[in-house]
Amino acid sequence: MKRKLSVVSLSFVLILLIATLAGCSTGQEKTANIQEEALNSKKENQVVNLYTDRHYDTDEKLYELFTEETGIKVNVVKGKSDELIERLAREGKDTEADLLITADAGRLHRAKTKDLLQPVTSNTLTNNIPTNLRDKDNEWFGLTVRGRIIVYSKDRVDPSELSTYEDLVNPKWKGKILVRSSSNIYNQSLLASFIAIDGEEKAKQWAKGIVENMARDPQGNDRAQATAVVAGEGDIAIMNTYYIGKMLNSSNPEEVKVAKNVGIFFPNQDTTGTHINVSGVGLTKYAKNKENAIKFMEFLSSPKAQEQFAQANYEYPANPSVEPSDLLKSWGEFKPQNINLSKLGEFNQKAVEIFNEVGWK
Amino acid sequence: MLRIRDLKFNFNIWSVLSFIFISLIVLPNLNILINILNHPNENWNHIKEYLLKDYIFNSVILVIFTGIFTILIGVSLSWIISVYDFPFRRFFKWGLVLPLAIPPYIAAYTYNGLLNYTGVIQSFLRNNFHIRVNQKYFDVMSAQGAVFIFTMFLFPYVYIITKSFFEKQSASLIENGRVLGRSSLEIFLYVALPISRTAIVGGVSLVILEVLNDYGVVKYFGIPTFSTAIFKTWFAMGDIDSAIRLSASLMFMIFCILTLEKFLRGRKQFSYTTSKVRPISRIELKGSKKILAFTFCFSIFSLGFIIPTLQLIHWSLLTYRKILNTKFLTMISNSLIIALLSSGIIIILAVIIANNCRISKGPLSKIYSKIIVMGYSIPGAVIAIAVIVFFVALDNKLYWLYRMINDTSSKLVLSTSIVMLIFAYVIRFLAIGYNSIESGFEKVGKKFFEASRTLGMNITETFFKVDFKMIRHAILGGFLLVFVDILKELPLTLILRPFNFNTLATKSFEYANDEMIHEAAVSSLIIIIISVILIYFFYKIGDKEAT
Repeated sequence: MKRKLSVVSLSFVLILLIATLAGCSTGQEKTANIQEEALNSKKENQVVNLYTDRHYDTDEKLYELFTEETGIKVNVVKGKSDELIERLAREGKDTEADLLITADAGRLHRAKTKDLLQPVTSNTLTNNIPTNLRDKDNEWFGLTVRGRIIVYSKDRVDPSELSTYEDLVNPKWKGKILVRSSSNIYNQSLLASFIAIDGEEKAKQWAKGIVENMARDPQGNDRAQATAVVAGEGDIAIMNTYYIGKMLNSSNPEEVKVAKNVGIFFPNQDTTGTHINVSGVGLTKYAKNKENAIKFMEFLSSPKAQEQFAQANYEYPANPSVEPSDLLKSWGEFKPQNINLSKLGEFNQKAVEIFNEVGWK
Repeated sequence: MLRIRDLKFNFNIWSVLSFIFISLIVLPNLNILINILNHPNENWNHIKEYLLKDYIFNSVILVIFTGIFTILIGVSLSWIISVYDFPFRRFFKWGLVLPLAIPPYIAAYTYNGLLNYTGVIQSFLRNNFHIRVNQKYFDVMSAQGAVFIFTMFLFPYVYIITKSFFEKQSASLIENGRVLGRSSLEIFLYVALPISRTAIVGGVSLVILEVLNDYGVVKYFGIPTFSTAIFKTWFAMGDIDSAIRLSASLMFMIFCILTLEKFLRGRKQFSYTTSKVRPISRIELKGSKKILAFTFCFSIFSLGFIIPTLQLIHWSLLTYRKILNTKFLTMISNSLIIALLSSGIIIILAVIIANNCRISKGPLSKIYSKIIVMGYSIPGAVIAIAVIVFFVALDNKLYWLYRMINDTSSKLVLSTSIVMLIFAYVIRFLAIGYNSIESGFEKVGKKFFEASRTLGMNITETFFKVDFKMIRHAILGGFLLVFVDILKELPLTLILRPFNFNTLATKSFEYANDEMIHEAAVSSLIIIIISVILIYFFYKIGDKEAT
């Protein structure tokens, strides 16, 4: 009898273990269940489920405003953009996500080519978002705009020496250019835009020229490039506009100083325009709350949401009827590249290959 | 008759369970190996032509230099601590283990934040003395910097193993050397080093496995190595086939290293037949030598523990008001619960398998322990791929069952839950728990077990009434080690966690990668504090055992 008991107790321990495990898994799915229940009692609890790589507190206020106006609750799942896309792909038809919000048109295009998005027909959206800032099949829409610009040392560089991206391969900049690694999507999209405008061969020559002029092997992120300019490691850096905004508002006073000590230059104003990119939103292919999702997309493109949505990350609103923040206005207006941003995605693979071939680390 | 049948049944429970667990560990990894037989795609050719060389070069450089420096620091410290007496020796003896409480990725961003242009050292010099330093000397975000970080925070592996070897095994040989009139340096070079070779190689191979497993440091510093390449190919290029191929190449490298380790250890085992452990009689240092020994230990301890901890405390004070909220508390409890749960499961599995291996000594048990140890050598990036592929397939197979339980069930139940993460932890950390419990069983021997069996208790009863009580220190020790490792773990947690599931480790890393190092400090500091406390307890247990 005793012997049996111990067998029983051992199995009991095991069962307990499995039960705990199962308990944990259901704990994680609780939100999913809540969402399903919400689906079942549609009229009472309307929801829209969001996969996003944004993490700003001000966004939550926008979500609350949307819920207030429409009664639709916004469920948010945050993650890194590449992981979110991979996750969407893996979940396939079973995904809970209705919308994908992510930075960079290249990534949105990747989601599209992986067949994770679907076209949206909405006059509000097509009116609010200019043609070049959205997918040609309306599978994704840009919401906020950033430029990839040149910053320079106010001490050592006279802005009149600066003109275009193409000029950066000029030997006079040898050992002076700072730029981050080519594994970063912002650089990939920048090169993709050159492929779209000037063709593959010229783009490759440009990348090669930049590698030859680099002040150091690429390291660190965009902010690190501006810091390196002020530290004297190089004279000019390529970086996104919103990082200047972030540095100006940093909790580290030294970083604020850095941002104040670099000049901002929008290249190619007399030629093809400054490279821009967007963070945007797409409706997932297997969205379960399609109507709510489209309502939410329209809301985000509307004037009242655009201002706050763009300001959270020091970006330009995609809706042309909305004015950018005072800080951005202080940098002056600029002429952007005039290509459809889908191209950034189409030429992404090619851009990555060119970077590897010319040895841009 | 009845008794014999019962005996067989009980015997089977332990061995059947062991077999099931081991198969579960092997299956996903086999899955990966099979994939190598597929034809490589176009992207792989591109990777091979332009990138693979860099990945191999960087990984090899990091491994070689970290290996050399950890041996230099680890062995010299363990020698000084073991044979000399000087002020604070007792403190340094366990204090020098503490760098292990700081995960290398946290050390990496702390040191960068400390040394870079906007960091405290440079701004102090600049703002007070108008000194502008050459950035090159303050740049840690490079291969050299990574070697520095790995060395300072991984050398304790070499230190711990070599020190315990010196303390336990070498007393008579070293004293013979002294009697024969050799200087300390000569004894070190001609006696201590050769006999401790096995221990050193054992310690440094742990360091190498950690370096190859690392994702946080190399990702933050932007050094392309295998582990970052696997994640990049998988997520950014969306090419899981090539990611698997990279994993296979990495596994091949690790296999070579493990073979090399076996070869280096050779067949020479300098262990003694007597089990009596006699401590070395220590020489008291005087004058400048005393100061030198203290300074050396203190500098290493400062670089590996005091400096980064002080910097983190400073940053925490700047940001804790912004950081500490209910979400942060959930995160702490997430970290603790998952570490507790996973360590518990790992220890239970380790006990079951170790007990089975001890009772039925056969070829199968040997294979079991080999497989378990292999698990620890597989880098997180590889385990992550293996586990995801395995669980998605499993979910597809189990879909009918989910449907039976719940009509509206989605297909991906296990692979979107925490089960997948715990499973991955088990593969990676079972070896740590297992080693601890196995050595516990070895110390106890089989005498008591056999006596109990002769007196008519079956295996299970014997385990709970006799063995368990005798190995409880080993169980607790193993549990603590696994717990600390899981608390610090990064790549697996980062990739396999369910959505909206943050731990202290993932949050620290995310903040740091968004260049919000000040905000990353609080969570990092909590990891370090918990680890220090647990490591301290672990050593208390060790001391109790020894006396």
